[in-house]
Amino acid sequence: MNRRTFFQHAATAALAPVLIDGYGATAFGSALPTRPSPFMQALLEVADQTDRVLVVIQLQGGNDGLNTVIPLDQMSVYTASTFRGNIAIPEAKVLKMNKYAQTGLHPAMTGFQQLFNAGKLSIVQGVSYPSPNFSHFRASDIWMTAVDSDKTLTSGWAGRYLDKRFPNYPENFPTAAMPDPPAIQIGAVTATSLLGPINSMAVVLSDPDTFARLVGDKPNDPKGIDGSSYAGKQIDFIRQQQVSSVSYAGQIKAAADKGKNSITYPTSNPLADQLKIIARLISGGLQTKLYYVTVGGFDTHASQVDATSTSTGTHANLLRQLSDAVFSFQNDLAQLKLEDRVVGMTFSEFGRRAISNGSLGTDHGTSAPMFIFGTAVKTQMVGQNPNLRDLDNNNLKMQTDFRQVYAAILEDWFGASVATETSVLTRDFPVAPVFRVTQLVTGTEPTAEPTATLYPNPASGAVMLESDWLEPGVKSVQVFDMQGRQLSIYAAQPTARQLRFDVSNLPMGTYIVRVETGTGLLTKRLAVVR
Amino acid sequence: MALLDAYTQPLSAAQVGHLLRRATFGPAFGQIKSFTGQTAAQLVQKLLADQPLPAAPLDLTTGQTFHDHPFSMVDAGKKEYYLKAWWVGLMLNQPASILEKMTLFWSNHFVTNANTVNDYRFIYRYNNLLRQYALGNFRAFVVAISQDPAMLQFLNSNQNVVGKPNENYARELQELFTVGRNGGYTEEDVRTAARALTGWTDTGYRNQTSSDISGFFRPGQHDTGDKTFSAAYQNTTIKGQSGADAGLNELRTLVDMLLTNPETPRYICRKLYRWFVNAEIPATIETNVIQPLADQFRAGNFEIKPVLATLLQSQHFYDTALQGAVIKSPLDLVVGTLRFWGTTAPDASKNLTGFYQLTGYLYNRCKEQQQDVLDPPTVFGWTAYYQTGYYQQWINASTLGLRGYFGDQLTTNGVKLNGKLAIDILALVKTLPDPSDPAKLMADLTMPMLAVSLTPAQTDFLIDTVLLNNLPRYEWGVEWNEYTQSPNDAAKKQAVQMKLTGLMQYIFRMAEYQVG
Repeated sequence: MNRRTFFQHAATAALAPVLIDGYGATAFGSALPTRPSPFMQALLEVADQTDRVLVVIQLQGGNDGLNTVIPLDQMSVYTASTFRGNIAIPEAKVLKMNKYAQTGLHPAMTGFQQLFNAGKLSIVQGVSYPSPNFSHFRASDIWMTAVDSDKTLTSGWAGRYLDKRFPNYPENFPTAAMPDPPAIQIGAVTATSLLGPINSMAVVLSDPDTFARLVGDKPNDPKGIDGSSYAGKQIDFIRQQQVSSVSYAGQIKAAADKGKNSITYPTSNPLADQLKIIARLISGGLQTKLYYVTVGGFDTHASQVDATSTSTGTHANLLRQLSDAVFSFQNDLAQLKLEDRVVGMTFSEFGRRAISNGSLGTDHGTSAPMFIFGTAVKTQMVGQNPNLRDLDNNNLKMQTDFRQVYAAILEDWFGASVATETSVLTRDFPVAPVFRVTQLVTGTEPTAEPTATLYPNPASGAVMLESDWLEPGVKSVQVFDMQGRQLSIYAAQPTARQLRFDVSNLPMGTYIVRVETGTGLLTKRLAVVR
Repeated sequence: MALLDAYTQPLSAAQVGHLLRRATFGPAFGQIKSFTGQTAAQLVQKLLADQPLPAAPLDLTTGQTFHDHPFSMVDAGKKEYYLKAWWVGLMLNQPASILEKMTLFWSNHFVTNANTVNDYRFIYRYNNLLRQYALGNFRAFVVAISQDPAMLQFLNSNQNVVGKPNENYARELQELFTVGRNGGYTEEDVRTAARALTGWTDTGYRNQTSSDISGFFRPGQHDTGDKTFSAAYQNTTIKGQSGADAGLNELRTLVDMLLTNPETPRYICRKLYRWFVNAEIPATIETNVIQPLADQFRAGNFEIKPVLATLLQSQHFYDTALQGAVIKSPLDLVVGTLRFWGTTAPDASKNLTGFYQLTGYLYNRCKEQQQDVLDPPTVFGWTAYYQTGYYQQWINASTLGLRGYFGDQLTTNGVKLNGKLAIDILALVKTLPDPSDPAKLMADLTMPMLAVSLTPAQTDFLIDTVLLNNLPRYEWGVEWNEYTQSPNDAAKKQAVQMKLTGLMQYIFRMAEYQVG
């Protein structure tokens, strides 16, 4: 870090969140947080930045969330022939999870079941965004660029973040502090998520074969034109050179040579092949912060399940591939003593229609669960099972905006400041409490905050919270029902001392609103009427 | 059937692409379309047609020409840069003509470089001389280049005086410019030729008060003795002359003598062959292509055009085995990539800033990829045309990285033209016959873009993995039709645009894209 960037960090730290990582959550749960000095904050941010890694797994095609994470509390609706009886997983086969009897996993996901029960997997329920789009390309772009669905951007959320962390990459890199690429993607085309404002922030290894050739293993790629022709000779020569032209080839090879895998990964599992490389590179000391892999085939319009058994077939194979690969990866990291440094996140451009179609498949839908894996997760179930009786054009309603999950990654995992998070996501999003302990709030009346007013109350749509405490910034907005379950709502801050949110999606009832601000914690009781 | 016999069939799209990749800095998509079905003779005639000399480069700050002003010490670096960018602009904007490709050929043959000559006005004049003679008469060309001020500076002819000869130019004139190393001439021939060339010098070099520059002859510095050569030149004697015309007369006689050496036309034809066709010249090509071309060159009094016409119309030139045999030079790659999409630099007289923004950007990319126009690394030219491995000299880990990075930048935000991306992928794809079918889209796009055909497995990979990221193929049609039904919907447009961008970035990095 040079002097200038240090002061930049110091400057942003004045607005920085208190919660720089999972530890902060404890402070939040117990008492008003103490604020480190800006200087300390900058040091903490820097220290925090050194070694944390994010692995993003894109499930290309739109994963059917309802057959992935199954609402055991609503099986009669779920299995009804008018709902998705032709593809529904029988209750007896659904994998159970500790402490969450109402929610289960697809029978192929034994690996995820073990991870969940070991406290290393978090499920964020009902993730989407307002006015969802049903086009693969457009929806992927929305997820990757992190814009509202009526806006467009050409850079990606992770690219923008890495660009802030490593400004002027690639021109002014490598440096002593960052000798390695900020991001590595295994895939043919750079994912939009990794595009910075001008440049891609990632080095792309086109496939595991490229990696194999790079590190001197035997590749297995089918190639083009006859190698004995004039053109063929030139093309062969260029291919040879291409291997070493992968940016940072030397660094990647050195890390791969030094790194190792401690377990055997499943074979015939393309995702496992990719994660295996990543574990090897992390263990070899590569300083790369973000790895990005893709697994395709989730566009299951037809034959998503076998006609003879709904728990086998295309979707089951895809989920097994995911679950087995991640399970192996997490075990590998554990044995390598690296698991506290790495979290992974899955996403898909959309979920699928709640009501199945007549071809044993599902059409494009909206919200779906996201998985976050790693030892850093604190809240294992963010949100609740989708309400199958409360659909929107046969689609599941949104509980959490995907950008709240990104905000959690940025602030709570990477330790980015609110200012950075706000800039990366184009505005501030409340942090999904994946890496925080959510305190179960019971029906007891919270202590009144004379400094805040909430109106209208009772409410049915827009609600405004006004308080001077909001001025230093809002860190999270949470709404709990009287059973202590957290519900996600959509919030915006129209002025510095106002927070507006929308309760029109909430059922009638009484709720506790908790807003964490730079000054302290505001809690208010709110009645929703219809 | 002789290899140089004319290929008379109408050309296929692939053949048109091949011809234009070799004879120009690359075909525009539209050119391939409109030229397909014409014969090689028709197209070669078009390529060889005389072109007007281009307007001189302008200074970005003043908007004025600078080659005709006194030398500016302060701005020399800038002006040299304008000059180089200007030339890249000519290559980019030129219609279907061989002229700039040949001008570049000659700058790699009669080498000087801006770095050594160090007067941008000299270099401009030199470059224009190359262009003027590029398709003319080789004999007249050698005589002219020998009097060119930049050449006089570069190979020290201006220091070659009676009694104290400087042999540099006399040596390269034989070794590199005419006879070649296999011509059998002796060291004594080098010294003798130097004597014939005594007395020439240049004027106006880096002169900050005068814009006059020229090469001229000083009779007093000339060696007036007879010059007798070895058996390599049939023991020819050039009669020593004195007086104002002595220099030119002896120069002409010397050039005539050099061109009488049977190796001279072969040497030039080999170079043309390596420039336009293939680096490898096995014995059968030497016998059946080089020698007949050399015979034609000599019989036609060293006129350049007829030889080019024969070569570019020949059956041999259209042999499919030769497609993709050349690795694109940085200029072929950088300029050619923009030409394919129909991108041209703005008219310098109307939008000078825009002109240099684009041409300067392209120049810098070529330079970093190891082809600095007007600055070939040595008097031999670029290694890709003479050293073992030939075109492979262009390729190493860093240049490949830069080549790929250039493609990335073109398709993202690296270079803009009037606020828009320099290449408009969507606009071109819309003109294809059926862009909603990913297989047809891929065939219609890759055929003109690439010099070699892809295998079915490669095409499938491009469609399924690169374009569609493993979605079913029909999803492309759905997305494309969504876009064409609401072309002004930014989100729908971006949905297909980003996929096509990814596809292009991938293709730009393919080994197949590096050959021409």
